[in-house]
Amino acid sequence: MQTKELQAMANRLRLEAVRMVYEGGDGHPGPALSIADIVATLYFDAMNIDPANPAWEDRDRFILSKGHSCPILYAALNERGYYTPKVEHFHLRELGSRFQGHPSMQYTPGLDMTSGSLGNGIPIGAGMAYAGKLKGKSYFVYVICGDGELQEGVNWEGANVATGRKLDNLIVFVDKNNWQSNITVTETVGMNNPADRFRAFGWHVQEISGHDIDAIKNAIETAKGVKGKPHAIVCDCVKGKGLSFMENNNAWHKGVPTKEQYEQAVRELGGDCNA
Amino acid sequence: MLKYKGTRAAFSAAVLELAEKDPRVMVVSPDALKAMRATDFGEKFPDRVVECGIAEQGAVDVAAGLAACGQIPFVGTYAGFLTLRAAEQMRTFVGYPNLNVKFCGVNAGVFGGEREGVTHQFYEDLAVVSALPNYTIFSPADPEQCYMATLAAYEIEGPVYIRAGSGREVSVYAEDAPFAKDGITVWRDYGTDAVLFSTGFFLDRVLAAADLLKEKGVNVTAADINILYGKDDRRIVETMKKADHVFTVEDHNINGGLGSYISRLATEKAPRFVHRIALKTYGESGAAKDVADAYGFSPEAIAKTVTDTLGK
Repeated sequence: MQTKELQAMANRLRLEAVRMVYEGGDGHPGPALSIADIVATLYFDAMNIDPANPAWEDRDRFILSKGHSCPILYAALNERGYYTPKVEHFHLRELGSRFQGHPSMQYTPGLDMTSGSLGNGIPIGAGMAYAGKLKGKSYFVYVICGDGELQEGVNWEGANVATGRKLDNLIVFVDKNNWQSNITVTETVGMNNPADRFRAFGWHVQEISGHDIDAIKNAIETAKGVKGKPHAIVCDCVKGKGLSFMENNNAWHKGVPTKEQYEQAVRELGGDCNA
Repeated sequence: MLKYKGTRAAFSAAVLELAEKDPRVMVVSPDALKAMRATDFGEKFPDRVVECGIAEQGAVDVAAGLAACGQIPFVGTYAGFLTLRAAEQMRTFVGYPNLNVKFCGVNAGVFGGEREGVTHQFYEDLAVVSALPNYTIFSPADPEQCYMATLAAYEIEGPVYIRAGSGREVSVYAEDAPFAKDGITVWRDYGTDAVLFSTGFFLDRVLAAADLLKEKGVNVTAADINILYGKDDRRIVETMKKADHVFTVEDHNINGGLGSYISRLATEKAPRFVHRIALKTYGESGAAKDVADAYGFSPEAIAKTVTDTLGK
């Protein structure tokens, strides 16, 4: 997909995510919007997937380690054609819905892994990447994790495995928006330097803007060309990106737009949707 | 001459055998190949071991990732490093999505953990895993049964937890005895004064207690329970109904293991008194036989609990 189309798709996903939270009355819109451009690039450009065959053995895998951002992933699966008929109302977080509060592979076709308990995407991704190597598959495993989430120790257990086993088919995006539930990452741990940390663990590291589609595309291609190391693509992101009242406002870590705010979201994102 | 040097060696021997037949079978090791007596596996199938380092939570996650891609990972290490430290990974990323991962927790109990002391003895594993839906729980009595339990685990699509010790377990079963699918094997059928249930590595002690009791004129039925919280409890319930008093003996905390399971069955299906012989405190270091005796699991102590309770 062309960059302009991907930008439009990212905003379509943003609006869908906001609508999902608005209609469902619960959810995490800010974290979802932060990664919209990465998710759009993965699902509509980079990933080798077949929505008609979600269990295809050779497909690329995706793990949303920061599972609370799932509205953007649900929107992507829907737009990419995983559901027939296309989902009109997601009933996010409602009893009986396919779209659980956090991603559940038992409920939602198209999900490669359950997630939401923070910190586990990298080690699970390492297992998937190892399985690919063992079976001689050429698939890649993509993970998106948050910068705050990296405080969980189990991430680094997985980072060790990926380095030790030379899992160059594992590509991890870090959504570096510097916010976590309570305060900023910098305030919490005194610094926010995921790139340095992944380098220290022996990973191949790139630093880009998480809202620059071309940079995301290029970083993926660069990662694929570097052998023998797992890849971290540290993305400077803005939490709530794309909506003026949400951007960098951590009140939207979890929150539900009012009718007026939803209408504003449609105005701010809707134009792009029709681009 | 024993075929396997303990339950953990029996587990790893079975995994090796399975791996020879099925390329999906793998070992995920949190620096535990030596502890699991699985170095043979590493030599024979180096690519099918994922060494995760001293990192149990990561190892369980790696196993979940492998299973999600169609592999059958076996993860073995000390029981509590799995079921306590990595409990959430076992729950959320294996149990909840019902992934096909097999776990073996070793050094279970004061007997299994013996000289290592409390940090490496675990008496809580069954309580944790029994609260996780989708898990099948195997508690084999001896090395031969642990071997059979591991083969049986492979036949199940979904997570299985196998409780193992270290190497002091006394063989009771014949080498080719199957792993009972209905969760019970009756070993003594002396009478109906009481029913004694054992799980795990104290079966020889419970049987010795049954024999001691017989000498004193107290005739009991003694059985091994090898599957806890299983789907088919009919024969267990049937056996319970033989007596008014049921005694459970286990090297586990008094809550959450065999005693809890049998109490549940007594409450729901066969109302009678259940007397639980189990741990109420943390253990300590010592030779396996010594710690087991010191914590109330000698045949004499088990028999005395029965006679005192029955007033005989």
